[in-house]
Amino acid sequence: MYLVIVGTRDNPLYELEVYTTQQKQQQQRDAQGEQKHLNQFIAHSALDIVDESMWGTKEMYLKVVDRFNDHHVSSYITPSGAKFMLVHDAQPGDVRSFFVDLHELYIKVLLNPFTEINGVITSQQFDTKVKGIARRYLSG
Amino acid sequence: MDASAANASTHFVCDSVMDLLLIETVALMSNSGTSTSGTLSTTGLTGDEDREAAYFKLEMLGYRVGMGLTEKATRDRPRFADNLEIVKFICKDFWLAVFNKQIDNLKTNHRGIYVLTDNNFRWFSRMSANSATETAQLAFPHAAFPCGLIRGALSALGVASVVIAEVSNTPQCTFQIKFRT
Repeated sequence: MYLVIVGTRDNPLYELEVYTTQQKQQQQRDAQGEQKHLNQFIAHSALDIVDESMWGTKEMYLKVVDRFNDHHVSSYITPSGAKFMLVHDAQPGDVRSFFVDLHELYIKVLLNPFTEINGVITSQQFDTKVKGIARRYLSG
Repeated sequence: MDASAANASTHFVCDSVMDLLLIETVALMSNSGTSTSGTLSTTGLTGDEDREAAYFKLEMLGYRVGMGLTEKATRDRPRFADNLEIVKFICKDFWLAVFNKQIDNLKTNHRGIYVLTDNNFRWFSRMSANSATETAQLAFPHAAFPCGLIRGALSALGVASVVIAEVSNTPQCTFQIKFRT
């Protein structure tokens, strides 16, 4: 599973590859590099669809916006225009709660006056905490 | 800044300390323009350029704070459908979060200009000078930070704007927002 936070200028602010224990084999395969490029490509091409669907609803959680072979892309958009996108397969677990918690963490990072809004998120604690909530909510 | 008591994890801020900090910030910015002389002048404003530089610095401070505050304030609410909703959010939720009250009057010409009037602007409520006009003049630099707050909030929601404050009789304050399309 692949998570990316995209800023308002379609610039990636944060990326993370998430694996559950059952996906250890997949992790080794992905480590060969091909899958990572594919994940980025899938997320990037789904951006247009997110832009379209965001005007159709006032909800922040946009559910599954795109499908590519057996990869699904779920998306969540904050009022300020940052997009959280998760590339996953058919059974990802509780994606909505994951996105809500991720939004909280994102706000906490932005409240730091030294972080640049719409800039790359480099905080180690943010990274650790995101991995923690990913482990908690995402099981696919 | 306030918090609703219902939320167990709320933080509280001491209001008077906040007031003092803001007053000192304005004084600091106004005085830093006179660094060549090395002494602090009593009025703090030694020329148009210095005044403008101080105003600009305060506004930029407010800009960053406004952006962060908006992220926090828009957390649990649905996204905005149009510009008018964004301005209404500023008038209600945002002003409530910062000043514990809402904007008293909102006027618009429906072509991108909005005028927000606060009849009892919190930070001006305890200011006084020898005459009403003098109070308004001296209070003007203190409106730079709120202008920045509004501009930052709008920018975080995706809207470029210009915010101008008008202080003619304290404690009333008007903010004019011009959307840049």
